[in-house]
Amino acid sequence: MKTALARLGLLAALVLAWEGAARAGSPLLYVPPSSALPALRDLLLLRSYPDLPSHLLLTVREIAIAYALSVGAGLAVGFALGLYRTVGRAYGPILAALYAVPSVVWYPSLMLFFGLDAASKIAFGFLLGFFPITLAVLAGIRQVNPQLVTVARAFGARPLTIFLKVLVPGMLFTLVGGLRTGLALSVIGVIVGEVLGSKAGMGALINHAYGLLRTADYVALVVLTLAVIAASDVAASLLERRAQRWTE
Amino acid sequence: MTLIAIEGVARRYQTASGAVDALRDVSLSVDAGEFCTIIGPSGCGKSTLLGMLGGLVVPDAGRILIAGRPVAGPDPRTVATVFQDPGLFPWRTVVENLEFGLELQGVARAERRRAATELLGPLGLRGFAPKYPRELSGGMRQRVAIGRALAIDTPIVLMDEPFGALDEQTRMLMGEWLLEIWRRTRKTVIFVTHSLHEALALSGRVAVMTARPGRIKSVLELPMPYPRAMESPEIVALRAKLWHEIREESARAMAGS
Amino acid sequence: MKAGTPRIVLIQVVSLGLALVTWEGLARAGWVDPLFVPAPSAVARSFGSMAGLALGGLADTLGKTAVAYVLAVVLGVAAGVAIGSARALNDVLHPFVVALYGIPKILVLPWIVLLLGYGTAPAVAYGALHGFFPVMVIVIGAVRDVDRTLITVARAFGARPWQLYLKVVLPAIVPSVIAAMRLGLVFCLLGVLVVEMFAGIRGMGYVMSSLANAFRAPELFAATGLVSIASIAIVLALDALNERLSRWR
Repeated sequence: MKTALARLGLLAALVLAWEGAARAGSPLLYVPPSSALPALRDLLLLRSYPDLPSHLLLTVREIAIAYALSVGAGLAVGFALGLYRTVGRAYGPILAALYAVPSVVWYPSLMLFFGLDAASKIAFGFLLGFFPITLAVLAGIRQVNPQLVTVARAFGARPLTIFLKVLVPGMLFTLVGGLRTGLALSVIGVIVGEVLGSKAGMGALINHAYGLLRTADYVALVVLTLAVIAASDVAASLLERRAQRWTE
Repeated sequence: MTLIAIEGVARRYQTASGAVDALRDVSLSVDAGEFCTIIGPSGCGKSTLLGMLGGLVVPDAGRILIAGRPVAGPDPRTVATVFQDPGLFPWRTVVENLEFGLELQGVARAERRRAATELLGPLGLRGFAPKYPRELSGGMRQRVAIGRALAIDTPIVLMDEPFGALDEQTRMLMGEWLLEIWRRTRKTVIFVTHSLHEALALSGRVAVMTARPGRIKSVLELPMPYPRAMESPEIVALRAKLWHEIREESARAMAGS
Repeated sequence: MKAGTPRIVLIQVVSLGLALVTWEGLARAGWVDPLFVPAPSAVARSFGSMAGLALGGLADTLGKTAVAYVLAVVLGVAAGVAIGSARALNDVLHPFVVALYGIPKILVLPWIVLLLGYGTAPAVAYGALHGFFPVMVIVIGAVRDVDRTLITVARAFGARPWQLYLKVVLPAIVPSVIAAMRLGLVFCLLGVLVVEMFAGIRGMGYVMSSLANAFRAPELFAATGLVSIASIAIVLALDALNERLSRWR
């Protein structure tokens, strides 16, 4: 109870400090909450950006496709590397090495290849989401107690049965964690792609507002984008909890 | 000569289900140079009492006097503690662990290194100076922990079930070794244990604690010479008496939990 | 990353070789547009022509990354230790930390550029911001995971608060700090590159996005390869350092 009050107090203090500092400095630049809220209202009422829904929809579509691709490829590659030992030992380190490279270095090449349209954002979102999912599959397989597999085999279970009834439940927790991280990263990938250069989507709008020094609109767009991201994260965590209950 | 005077101490804990009295009206006095064992059932507050002696826990009532002065916080010049978990710092070598207390007190590097190295012999750890805790067995680690306590050369050493995590054979050997050290250094030792064997083999006095809330139920004197002839009629009789005293409390503790 | 047996290495080399040969073949046969997917031979050849530009850009980027990195690590460890050791502070701030950590920081980038202009300052600031959070979060976890017994032992031996920090908490969290530093470096580098691509006038990110805009594919691929190799090398070096410092584990 005390903690909750302290948090609320901190939040209120931050908002007040923001308001004060922004007004004292340059309100145009620092956008106090009192300017941001009307801008948000204008945004949601489609006054400042009438075609907001189409941009929002585009971004969401890009995220969905990118994520679906990274899940598909991530699971496929992850299981291939995890279940076939030689393959895993050969290509696992290469994968780990690639993970050490900051992902954004691939983006100019993607832009060259796919242009400024949605495809490059989807490709980038896919790339970002792919790695954590693959690594989570590998980690999940590794942490399944081999004793359980031995027991299943002793009871005469066939490989497919072992896979479904021992491996998948045993690694589900790690896997779901990886899927959540993959979603978060796919989202970041798409948004980074849009901000770095695109003609449409939330990132493009943000870029547009920034370019025209429409700082209040910029803040409103950021808040809206964050809300969408938060919503997707909440949805993901609900699914995660459902999966946890399923395994217990 | 009384060195430690525990006078009517009490300690209460707040738990989710209300207040719990860990200790209530505990009194005991210990003379200088004694080896005094505190034995009692699980949860009777032995560790809390030791924590009070070490200045880590503050009594809610009563007081503890050491050499006539009340305990007010950890006093590394007077009291050293050995815990059941050796608590060795994994990033320090054996010799660096041994000199930890001296380091805290600002002793110069060369001198504390010398003091720590000298302890290796009596500890039976010659040659292990540069090793890390993960390379040692459980018994060795506990010896380092005891050595660390001895290094600061305090008149009083508290030991909270130091051999609790070791197997029976190691325990017995460690007990013999500890006795040797004690007889050479003549420190005042307060030793908490579950083990009747240890109480009878090592101590000059055994204080039996009741189940929670803990109190000193009785004190048995063991005037026999060392090393103890564990099969002798006196010891056997004392063991029966000790078990009789403890059994009641253990049963009560079991029922209460 | 550990080296494999000769058989494993053979598989890796052969498959990489096959991939390169196939790629070269496809490019030469005209099956892929050389404008978008240059042949490996073209990429190799372009290394020479753009070496000066690329290496200069890389040096510039790494320089900014170094500054951002120092900031991120110092502030991240300090904040991590402060928040991690004060239970009350940690409880109150936890949701704030999680929320801030989860925000795609790119959303704040335009504003940072607005404030700090183009060039070095926003790159360093954003890079530091990017690296700060993972470092802080890891250190907070590490501080909270310090073995309670060790703290009790130190207190029993009369350690004063500053001694507790210096002699128990800090040595205990070293492995996590190193892991955080390894992670933080990649994050800092990423942040700097992003700013260079978004609003840069110098640095590898700017070089790469310029090459992309000019459709100079071979040079772009070469530059990408260069940055990747540099990044992997740095991470490997940090891993080796980590091994050395963790002898006691």
